[in-house]
Amino acid sequence: MKLTKDELKNIGFFDNYNDEQLKIFIGISSIKEFKVKDILFEQYDELSDVYVLLSGCLSLGISLAKEKRIRLGTLEEGQLFSWSAVFSPYISTAWVMATCPTKVLAIDAKKLNLEFEKNCEFGFKTMSKIAQTISHRLSDTRFQLMNQLTL
Amino acid sequence: MLNNKNIYKPIRAKLTNVIDESQLIKTFVLVPEDKFSFKTGQFIELSVDGIGEAPFTPSSSPLVTEKLEVTVMKTGYVTEYMHMLKPGVEMGIRGPYGRGYPVEKFFGKEVLILGGGCGLAPIRSLLYALEDIKDRLVKVILCYGSKTPADCIYKPLFDRLNSTEKFEAHRTVDKADEDWDGSVGVATTLLNKIRINIENSVAVVCGPPIMMKFGAIRLLEMGYKDDQIYLSMEKNMSCGLGKCGHCMMGEFFVCKDGPVFTYDEIKHNPEIWR
Repeated sequence: MKLTKDELKNIGFFDNYNDEQLKIFIGISSIKEFKVKDILFEQYDELSDVYVLLSGCLSLGISLAKEKRIRLGTLEEGQLFSWSAVFSPYISTAWVMATCPTKVLAIDAKKLNLEFEKNCEFGFKTMSKIAQTISHRLSDTRFQLMNQLTL
Repeated sequence: MLNNKNIYKPIRAKLTNVIDESQLIKTFVLVPEDKFSFKTGQFIELSVDGIGEAPFTPSSSPLVTEKLEVTVMKTGYVTEYMHMLKPGVEMGIRGPYGRGYPVEKFFGKEVLILGGGCGLAPIRSLLYALEDIKDRLVKVILCYGSKTPADCIYKPLFDRLNSTEKFEAHRTVDKADEDWDGSVGVATTLLNKIRINIENSVAVVCGPPIMMKFGAIRLLEMGYKDDQIYLSMEKNMSCGLGKCGHCMMGEFFVCKDGPVFTYDEIKHNPEIWR
């Protein structure tokens, strides 16, 4: 199942892309669906897709041991996650689990990297958005840490 | 304008109800001996006879002059004593002091409110004021974070706002329990889910200093200009008149020049987040 350009335009992450750039995403992505308690990926899994949450609810966290999951946060619709799929060593830094029926856009990370090499403007724009996502995650984690330290 | 004839003498107010908001937070409903007016965002000095006084921003509507609600977190000597008070006792009120939210500057705009913890108290008063002028606003979005679901105060407020035209309210918790099925993460994570026209918007931030800092930084990253961000500062205000110096922040007396400042006004001050 594929999204159309107009549908992509309504998703937060795809703000500011032109029609040609949206077509690139459509060509290398597909919609995946998950049920409650499905694990999209575990911490330390090798990743092949970058995801954007389309609808539903996802929790994100880290594991201390296989049975001990710590939930750090939830993801919001339109947010990109699984960014580790774009960067070597392509290993996830967290687990992500569906907590209600969920739809995501799965973008093939290898194909995305190839598109970056072919089209520098597209690559720069997308990498800037991914960097912003990582920056926000880092900032939120610091904020969370400060909250814990001042309890 | 001060409600007290003598600026140092509190007016008397009867405590008529005490509402448990969370384990550490209670709302005190007070009926002053005379009608009491304030602008949303201004603060008062609330006193307990023989114990002391402390500054609070009222959490009730600025449109109501017959009663006043003050939400108090148990953090020190005076507030600990306040938490033991029962309805029927008399308390003292001085004020209101300082500069509140310039709501007239919000006309025709989208208002984003970012709050955390007990910072929802002044925000509730602001929300009442904004509900009164909602015809002149584009929309109002509240993003609020508490440490746990149990620490969230004014729980019915969120449903009420979400069923009010032009208002939407989002909640998150730092740490969820088994029953919580909402967002998890610090308050700033809620900014990922909202859609707002930043150019035609103002942002209000109120909460603990850590949240104010990270909140203001995120708003700047989103594209807000320095003068579009309003911060409600909490700096140990004491006299309320710019005399004692307890609340000095650089060249400002927070009690007199604030407590509401734009980020533009105070961004160069090294004590802003302390």
